[in-house]
Amino acid sequence: MLTRTPGRVPPPSVAADDGDELHFCSTCAFSAACLERGYDKGRLAELHVLVEHTPPIREGEHIFREGDEFNAIAAIRAGTVKTYVTDLEGREQVQGFFLPGEVIGLNAISQSRYPCNAVALETVLLCRFSFPKIATLATRMPGLQQKLFELLSEDIGKASRLAGDFTADERMAAFLLLLSRRYAERGLSPTRFRLTMARTDIANYLRLAAETVSRVLKRFQADGLILVERREVELLDVPALQAIAASVLRN
Amino acid sequence: MDTTARFDFDLLRRYDEFGPRYTSYPTAPHFHEGFGEAELRQHAARSNAELIPRPISIYLHIPYCTNPCFYCGCNRIITRDLSKGERYVERLLREIARAAPLFDRDRDVVQVHFGGGSPNFLRPAQIGRLLDSLGRHFHFSDSPDRDFSIELDPRHVDEADIAELAALGINRASLGVQDFNPVVQKAINRIQGIDQTLAVIEACRARGMRSVNVDLIYGLPKQTQAGFRGTVDTVIEARPDRVAIYGYAHLPQMFKAQKQIRDEDLPGAGERLELLALAVECLTAAGYEYIGVDHFALPDDELAQALHRGGLHRNFMGYTTHADSDLVGFGVSAISHVGSSYSQNPRDITGWEIAIDHDRLPVWRGMTLDFDDELRAWVIQELMCRGEIDRAGAERRFGIVFDAYFADELERLERLEDDGLVELDSGRIRATSRGRYLLRIIAMCFDRYLQRTRPDRERPQFSRAV
Repeated sequence: MLTRTPGRVPPPSVAADDGDELHFCSTCAFSAACLERGYDKGRLAELHVLVEHTPPIREGEHIFREGDEFNAIAAIRAGTVKTYVTDLEGREQVQGFFLPGEVIGLNAISQSRYPCNAVALETVLLCRFSFPKIATLATRMPGLQQKLFELLSEDIGKASRLAGDFTADERMAAFLLLLSRRYAERGLSPTRFRLTMARTDIANYLRLAAETVSRVLKRFQADGLILVERREVELLDVPALQAIAASVLRN
Repeated sequence: MDTTARFDFDLLRRYDEFGPRYTSYPTAPHFHEGFGEAELRQHAARSNAELIPRPISIYLHIPYCTNPCFYCGCNRIITRDLSKGERYVERLLREIARAAPLFDRDRDVVQVHFGGGSPNFLRPAQIGRLLDSLGRHFHFSDSPDRDFSIELDPRHVDEADIAELAALGINRASLGVQDFNPVVQKAINRIQGIDQTLAVIEACRARGMRSVNVDLIYGLPKQTQAGFRGTVDTVIEARPDRVAIYGYAHLPQMFKAQKQIRDEDLPGAGERLELLALAVECLTAAGYEYIGVDHFALPDDELAQALHRGGLHRNFMGYTTHADSDLVGFGVSAISHVGSSYSQNPRDITGWEIAIDHDRLPVWRGMTLDFDDELRAWVIQELMCRGEIDRAGAERRFGIVFDAYFADELERLERLEDDGLVELDSGRIRATSRGRYLLRIIAMCFDRYLQRTRPDRERPQFSRAV
């Protein structure tokens, strides 16, 4: 009867919550690797790899805080998560945003504690995986090990991408295109999505002033590259955005 | 877009029923006291977080009048004690200082409106202090199309005042006239000379104000065809850029002053409609265009041009050319529209004063709009401002299947279609030229709150649709 595109209905704005006790979500980072070897969710739970039944996390609640003991990584089933650290002056530094299907906590692997804070930007549903257990399982499952390496590599790549000396336009265009790519990989619309992060978070992440974020988006809109409605963005001219972002994305 | 409007007497008579004017959807009676200061703060923070935060419109309510007009349904206080104005201004300044930090500084103020009551109960210097404070706490738009407007009671303002107001940046004025006929003026307790009024219009122009609006009211006690024609002709001769014609809503149980008006002096439903027909006919013949619900403008006025361009918007202050903005209201009974919320200050002056004196944001009640509210608000806004609803536009914007979501509404529209108020094709639902005078009736089909209270129990809080 009533259909709504993802991104319109609050909260959570983007849901990959199509899994259940026995079936993986369609966007799950681990499903393919596990299923390949005959492990369904029930089997993972039996092995205590999968720590489920975590209640929904509400907007503004923390999933973990810097310094908390690291024991699990978590795949996001629905919602968006922001990771950040607080510098010595108490200023927040946004490290990244994580979308459904993506995994948080990977940067804690080398230590025994989480090196950053993770907060829900809207209602978030998670699948937690015990890290010691999934690491052990990975030694018996090359596909899973490969997947973990890929995730780690992506995580490192994401962090260094915007580190160069780029203009506000370049940063903003790259940010939109990278999000678009990530949504596309998860089978969601690559040209229309809701940005659940506040503009101050985006500004902080891109190392820009909040009013610059709005000014650049306004100009992109005036030039017919995008359409903005509150927190929703539609990419109207992807090639033009790609041209602007070329020096950041380099591919 | 076809913007012609045709006045169909029989049709209007058939649809002469009570209904909201939809300066907001949902309408104010649906606000509730569970919504308070904390909720307003939350919505303000969210509105700042939008990718391109909306610009800001500001409304200041000045409740005082020196004299009671009997027809008035506004929130007002009658007094001759001018010191009350000073104390009120002091509190308004505190309210501004308290509320302004809720909004990011890079959100330009595109509209400031002083309403009442009688804003010119305050001296221009007091208006100046308020504008000054607003300018320090917010960022005024540098654009020449920013609107700083004021409602003026022509009986209590002179040329020097207008010069001062214009120097403060006030560039639009709206004058209360209602009716020039002395018999009517006596019955409504508002004696106002023609020369006095025309001089104010002239002074506004001479001081470079961008537009002048005149308010008229039909359906007043003792009003006659001949008398009202005289009023309309006089107004047309002065050629204000905009004219608003409101229907008098006689609700003495709600507005105490209206008890002074005798039922037997009021024109009947048929006569009311004839008064409106006459005004519409005269205005149209004189070149005024019908903008929508109560409002007319000359073709070169920005409102008329915005109507043709499809750039018309509507908020609590009526029609405007400014795209969706967040509205921040100050003063007793003032309404704000911030993000997905409405909120209202206390309607009683004491309640408002106590909140200010305790350094609280004086939120009395409000509501958070849910998905359905937002969708219907958009649909109604489209109807009111563009005279049509683009089904695909709604689907794209809200991710609905229009015909499925609005199956009941489409059924309700059938009667209106049969009567020639609307035309439905696969793409659009469009008000016909005859339907443009009944936009409220069409909008009511989409009002979920009205459907809830059906079958027709009394809905006395609304004025008649025509």
